[in-house]
Amino acid sequence: MNHRHLLPNEIDLLLDGDVGFGQTPLRAHARTCEHCRAELDNARRIVAQLDHLPHVVPSAVFADRVMARVHVFEPAHVAAINAARRWIPRSAPMRVLAAAGGLSIAFVISVAALWLAANAQAVAFLADLMFQRARQMAVGGAGSVVAGALGGPALAALRAGGELGVAAAAGGFLVAVVFAVFGLRAVAGASRRRRA
Amino acid sequence: MPPLLELANLPDADVVTLAQQGREAAFRELVRRYERPVFSLVFRMVRDRETAEDLAQDTFIKVLNHIDKYRSEFKLSSWLFKIANNVAIDHLRRRQLDTVSMDGSPHASSASEIDATRFDVEAQQETALEEIESRELGSAIERAIARLRPEYRSCILLRHVEGRSYEEIAATLDLPLGTVKTYIHRARHELRRDLDHLKPG
Repeated sequence: MNHRHLLPNEIDLLLDGDVGFGQTPLRAHARTCEHCRAELDNARRIVAQLDHLPHVVPSAVFADRVMARVHVFEPAHVAAINAARRWIPRSAPMRVLAAAGGLSIAFVISVAALWLAANAQAVAFLADLMFQRARQMAVGGAGSVVAGALGGPALAALRAGGELGVAAAAGGFLVAVVFAVFGLRAVAGASRRRRA
Repeated sequence: MPPLLELANLPDADVVTLAQQGREAAFRELVRRYERPVFSLVFRMVRDRETAEDLAQDTFIKVLNHIDKYRSEFKLSSWLFKIANNVAIDHLRRRQLDTVSMDGSPHASSASEIDATRFDVEAQQETALEEIESRELGSAIERAIARLRPEYRSCILLRHVEGRSYEEIAATLDLPLGTVKTYIHRARHELRRDLDHLKPG
């Protein structure tokens, strides 16, 4: 090793500061050979210059130009969490108050649900009763409307026709309404076109 | 959401998580952190400020618009440098193709027409380079880097300006570790040869 100078790749091996079996004789040679020591120093000087090259600064509007073309997308679950967070009060006392209110409501709803589950038969009886009452009121109301609009004989004819008759009359009424709406729209459209 | 001052103290992975949640401030923080390194790499690769701005912007737009696909096992900076290097290399390749096609119009039918449509690319690039060198870079080492092959240039810049390890460079540039070492050794050798006249003594 002592009778020849270091090759470029051998100088390069010493630049990274690695410690290894192969580097030891190279280092020893560089210590004793003035020419190789000068080459190594020069190589180190260039590497130091490379290491200290500064960053180049882009224009002041660089970030704005990038952001103008970036699609900031908020995923649905994050949006939901953020929306929920907006309902949480900021101050600690208000948060305690809101939590107490929420717990009270949850307690009342739980007790009500338990009571309904324990008294399912009574609930079913009450629901049926309310449904019958509502049905009677609806039928009575519809009868009064028909009697007022078409007279007593029409109401009697409807009653005589039974449920099928009522359904047929209601269907006929709906068809008449649909035809009337579309007819009026067609007339209005034709009128607009004539004016134009 | 952490305020801006706190965002600056968060590690990249946390800022990326906030960006993935749709926080615009997190996107801006990532641009703020890496605009200089990315721009520097691209600028030293293409050596034209305007083109470098466009390419560096494209780099950020590509990365930030796909931030949901970011895998945390890969460093964000490595991802950015990978895209930046790719866009710069693609640009240099396109420019090389343009150089060939500008050697007179392919549709010219006579010698005088070829002369009339010829575009003296080399002369123009030299002027642009000289201007940049005197204005922005100036130093001999920057000029020597500019003369390196693009592959050597990106390796040497990542190694010395960005302080990346050989392994990181290999992962960033999708190159075998041995190739990266060879490129860096050859680049240093070329730089030493190029700057030999500045050797002290």
